[in-house]
Amino acid sequence: MKIEVLEMSDRFAKFVLSDASIAFANGLRRAMLAEVPTLAITEVNLYNNTSVLYDEQLGLRLSLIPIKANTDELVPKEECMCDDNCPACEVSMTLSAEGPKMVYSGDFVSSDPEIFPSDENIPIVELKDGQQLFLEALAHVGHGKNHSRWQAGIACGYKTYPVVTFHNCDKCRSCIEACPKDIIQMGPSGAEIQDNDMLECTLCRSCADVCGINAITVDQDERAFIFNVESDGSYSAEELIQQASKALKKKSDGMLEVLEHF
Amino acid sequence: MIPVRCFSCGGVIANKWEEFKRRVYEGESSDTILDDLRVTRYCCRRMMLSHVELVDTIAPYY
Amino acid sequence: MGYKCTRCKRAVEIDYEYTGIRCPYCGHRILVKDRPTSIKRIKAE
Repeated sequence: MKIEVLEMSDRFAKFVLSDASIAFANGLRRAMLAEVPTLAITEVNLYNNTSVLYDEQLGLRLSLIPIKANTDELVPKEECMCDDNCPACEVSMTLSAEGPKMVYSGDFVSSDPEIFPSDENIPIVELKDGQQLFLEALAHVGHGKNHSRWQAGIACGYKTYPVVTFHNCDKCRSCIEACPKDIIQMGPSGAEIQDNDMLECTLCRSCADVCGINAITVDQDERAFIFNVESDGSYSAEELIQQASKALKKKSDGMLEVLEHF
Repeated sequence: MIPVRCFSCGGVIANKWEEFKRRVYEGESSDTILDDLRVTRYCCRRMMLSHVELVDTIAPYY
Repeated sequence: MGYKCTRCKRAVEIDYEYTGIRCPYCGHRILVKDRPTSIKRIKAE
């Protein structure tokens, strides 16, 4: 298995995974979307709310705010040994504001300085003159498969590596015009696609269809995948991929354990 | 209020809303702003483009 | 449980016997219930 990183920023990642099976690539994709443990608000204690949004609407908005936290130190509530709540499974954050003011996610005061909303500028509600908001939000660890508030990986996807070959090209240029991505160029021995541009190919086969002499074959390498990963901010893109791999590993370890005791 | 996340893909969009709003107000074209903010998918783009702020409309009745 | 008149914004009591649902100060017939002071726990979803 080989990984070639094309882009790795805080929220975005793009890499080529080669020498891997489709099943593994899909497993990784699904793990990033649904199996990464994340912290999100699940319950709200409202002391006062005279804003224009009613309580449940406010609760939904709060729950969808991504929270940065070290989830290795926290456990999901179902797996926790405690009776009701404890610092290992629950994090409390308070929010108090009085209008006129725009309330942002950055106004949260967290009980743990390591745990805070990853974006400070998410508008929660606009308070008009005299309106009040005073609440305590309780956050728990969960997984993306249960609710979108725990979904750390956003629109993570992959495509198989395109392989377009030209042989005995008659330099008619019709494929260059047909390509919707404009990646085909005229080289010394006929039409060609640069290695970097190959990533852009959508396997649409427009070039093969338009070629009069059938000189173009469009194929895909089913052992190599171009991954596109985006994080919601609760993890950096790099951490997200690591957490997804960990989740996969944990699952297969569980499988192994079952088989050993079979 | 702008939804916190995109309905379709779950991407956080609310953190880009105020900048988007300000720059549209200053006269920039919305497609260049969205490209700039890396709102690339059309599901997230429609969230920003089709949003109507209603707080000021409702507020007098509270 | 207290009520509030939506026109004059004053706290009013409802007199079921005599006036019915009507603000004794301005005569407005739309009254809203005040928010209770207890802590409300909701599921955020």
